[in-house]
Amino acid sequence: MSSAGYTAMAGGTGLWEKLKRWVPIFVITPSIIASFVYVFVFAGWTLYISLSDSTLLPTYGFKGLENYFSLWANRRWGVAYSNLFFFSTFYVLAAMAVGLVLALLLDQKIRAESFWRTMYMYPLAVSFIVTGTVWQWLYNPTGGIQFLVNSLGWTDFQFALTSDRKNAIWAIILTGIWQSAGFTMALFLAGLRSVDGDIIKAASIDGASTFRIYRKVILPSITPIFLAVAVVQLQAAIKTFDLAVALTNSGPGISTTFPATYVYDLMFQRGQIGEGAAAAMMILAALAVVLVPYSLYLAWRRRRESGRG
Amino acid sequence: MKFTTKVAAAATTMLAAALLSSTAMAAPKVLMLHQWASGNDAASIAKLGEMFTAAGGTWEQTAIAGHTANTLAKLRADVVAGNAPAAVQLKGPEIAEWNATGGTADMDELATSEGWDKVVAPELLPVMKPDGKWVAAPMNIHRINWIWGNKAAMEGVGVTELPKTWADFNAACEKAIAGGKICLAHLSADWTDATTFEVVVYGQDPELFKKAFVDGDVDALRSDGMIKAFDQMRLMVSKYMDPAIAGRDYDTASNMMVNGDALFFIMGDWELGTIKSVGKEPGKDILCGQAPTDWGKPGFILNSDSVVFFKQSNPDYVEGQKLLAHLILSPDFQKVFNIAKGSIPARMDIDLAASGFNACQIQSQADLKASIEDGELVRSMAHNMTVLQKYRGAMMDTITEFVNTPEMSSADAANAMADAVEAQM
Amino acid sequence: MAEATLNSSGVVDHEASVASRRRLISRIVIYGLLSGFALIYLIPLCVVVFNSFRTLPEISAHGLIAFPQSFRLDAWPQAWSDFCIGGQCEGIQRYFWNSVAMVVPATIISTALGAINGYVLSKWKFPGSDIVFGMMLLGVFMPGQIALLPWAFILGKIGLANSVYGLILVHCIQGLSFTTLFCRNYFVGIPDDLVKAARIDGAGFWRIFYKIILPISPPILIVTVIWQFTGIWNEYLFGVVLNSGANQPITSALVALSLNGTTVRTYDVMSAAVLIGALPPLLVYFFGGKYFVRGLTQGAIK
Repeated sequence: MSSAGYTAMAGGTGLWEKLKRWVPIFVITPSIIASFVYVFVFAGWTLYISLSDSTLLPTYGFKGLENYFSLWANRRWGVAYSNLFFFSTFYVLAAMAVGLVLALLLDQKIRAESFWRTMYMYPLAVSFIVTGTVWQWLYNPTGGIQFLVNSLGWTDFQFALTSDRKNAIWAIILTGIWQSAGFTMALFLAGLRSVDGDIIKAASIDGASTFRIYRKVILPSITPIFLAVAVVQLQAAIKTFDLAVALTNSGPGISTTFPATYVYDLMFQRGQIGEGAAAAMMILAALAVVLVPYSLYLAWRRRRESGRG
Repeated sequence: MKFTTKVAAAATTMLAAALLSSTAMAAPKVLMLHQWASGNDAASIAKLGEMFTAAGGTWEQTAIAGHTANTLAKLRADVVAGNAPAAVQLKGPEIAEWNATGGTADMDELATSEGWDKVVAPELLPVMKPDGKWVAAPMNIHRINWIWGNKAAMEGVGVTELPKTWADFNAACEKAIAGGKICLAHLSADWTDATTFEVVVYGQDPELFKKAFVDGDVDALRSDGMIKAFDQMRLMVSKYMDPAIAGRDYDTASNMMVNGDALFFIMGDWELGTIKSVGKEPGKDILCGQAPTDWGKPGFILNSDSVVFFKQSNPDYVEGQKLLAHLILSPDFQKVFNIAKGSIPARMDIDLAASGFNACQIQSQADLKASIEDGELVRSMAHNMTVLQKYRGAMMDTITEFVNTPEMSSADAANAMADAVEAQM
Repeated sequence: MAEATLNSSGVVDHEASVASRRRLISRIVIYGLLSGFALIYLIPLCVVVFNSFRTLPEISAHGLIAFPQSFRLDAWPQAWSDFCIGGQCEGIQRYFWNSVAMVVPATIISTALGAINGYVLSKWKFPGSDIVFGMMLLGVFMPGQIALLPWAFILGKIGLANSVYGLILVHCIQGLSFTTLFCRNYFVGIPDDLVKAARIDGAGFWRIFYKIILPISPPILIVTVIWQFTGIWNEYLFGVVLNSGANQPITSALVALSLNGTTVRTYDVMSAAVLIGALPPLLVYFFGGKYFVRGLTQGAIK
């Protein structure tokens, strides 16, 4: 990409011209500083605190890796980490599947598309407090879905996800899908709309069926979108906090503890800022596991594309 | 209530004027951080605000709802930002912890002049003055070990009085089951599971309670006595409660007992406020009694809400802290606040019967006095009055996990609890 | 565009009736599926709307999911101006306006900054500009719990602790990553020749921005505004912790209503309050929604 970069600019003569050349740099500098502080200073501070003896307040006595050892010795952290894997798997896959189905349906030249789209996307506009409150009502066995079905005559019907230790995480997964499938749908739809119309035309002239065109032509050409959506969803899953707090507050028992909720609990409820920071670093590590390969892939793809010209 | 508030306000105005005469220039101001954002709690704290304003102060509050972590996050953020709030609702060992950071204000001058040491319940003194100086003002005393019973429902299955011992309790529950009722209403959350469990431990063996939950002794946590308490807890969870305890909200659980679907509810005295708010008369339709004990004496698990003061540089806020502390410990506030909240005053010199408290609260005060004499009074672990949050968190994690995990054995639970506490040491 | 060609593919004259029947069936299936999903999506909304019209005794008798048997609007004014939160019985209105006062400037500033940053990073590249972009991008992934105490410290140092300005600053900086990402990716698609030609004509940095870039950016600016507005409006943790007293945002009032530990739940008022609290971002979505997919096509996905 040959941009009209500032290095390529013709050199001016006057002082004013020289200054003007620096305008873009001046303009972006505050943002660079702010982002640097936000990303690196904050993360670096957290790293240091995770190695410190901080308890009630941040303090700076060095303690080595002790916080990490005590974190990994903690049962609840084990629960949190295994929940994260379980949740991520189903939440990411199912939200993508639902989003893709919706996007494909909307792509069928339907009437009032924007009406349908808005319907599937409105949960995105709603805060976790609202979602949590309402879904709690639905899951509530003495007033929600179970009560409704029971009062319709099916008295044995049981639907009490949030009160069942083994299944409470499904309540979070289902609600998470409800809230985010609209977003994956929008991303997929955006991808479908960006596919080159000529390729499709060529395929349909060859007599391929709609199904076949999707399977052989359109979907393969948006593989990068699949990957992008997966990464977006996965990082959201790793940061899951609001939904878990609002729906089950880590319960029943400690069964729906997530890394982020545990970080919050350690840092703010229990006054173990050092160990909380260690847990936070583990979240960052998990994010890195997802993001580093992805950005390497992106870089590789970009190079390959520019190599082809 | 309105009238008493006004009288109180008038009285405190005069007192405040006397207090303020020394530093006449300062206009008392306070910003109080607390977590009583709704319902009775909020109404009670609003009374404090009214009194403060009536006494000539400028009252501001930050009420943060939900999880205590949010309030504590706010406090930490404020301290880190270098402007600690003038007054914060904090309790138990946290007072000592924050005191150790050096940020708390010294209220000794006021305490001496008003003689707090003589009137405040002795069990609260070490909590309010962690290293000998007053840094906090107690607002009330909650009793945790109450059992509430629906009279009609009890009579319906042939239970004539509230159970005195755990054997009585189990017998009453068998009758309830035979009569097709739920015995014990409950909602499963870490604090409610821990509340019920600590009541069981205390009822079986108060010495074990002190060793395990007050001193955080790992061997006591692992002991046979603890296993026995878990056995009783398992029996209650699996048989005497209904299966839908998790995810239930507080008022639903309370209503199960109030409406007679369940016989009993083991819960602290804030339940009084809930009972009254649905129009029932505590002591008449709903019986209150000491939760079962196997050792035949009055017992008391104590919880106390208090306000901690943080050092301020602005003289207006220093004055405000003095005025607020004075108001909190004034008999008028202690009455108004506690009548609404269900608890009893932190001052021992208030005649409850003459001040409009109900029968349950009067019994609470009598039992408090008796248990102090017998040396059976303990502070509540579940309500954060004993061990540090990190130990309490570890204990509560295990207890609530036990409640929600049918296949977890009592011995495993006791071991897991001891291990979890040990891991935090 | 995909859909323009797909559905005309099967049309062959002599089998027109078979084809049109197949087409009808596939239409029925498509609309059936769409309606099924729509139902699932709408149920929670309907439940809240209905409950805001029902009386409390009715809710406790018939459960939380039911058609209203009575219709009354009492809960709405009660939620707005009467209900007691934190001992003050003035409803959620103050919290609502606090949020408005925070979200409007924060959205405008962060969107403007994102547009300028995106413009620099796409059209005025400098050595290391890709690294700068990469760094800004990392901000997207920062978990909020990590940033809480550092923010408190910084705001305390610069004297903005416990004020709405402090929160605006925090939201602007945290939003930079998103707004810059959206705008940069969108602007990359604008042909460089356009910018080059303008510069040959003597137009400077700002002139090109106003005359060339801005006129074609509404789609992405709308996406950015929607993103920022809903994100900031719905944020709870920072709004509560970095603010105090009378300045608390709407989310704190909603939490106070919905998580009231030991008291009786007023489902009717809660429903009305929840709806009022969700209304502004919902409106933003309804009016801006049609640009969202378009903006994403051109912006976010690249």
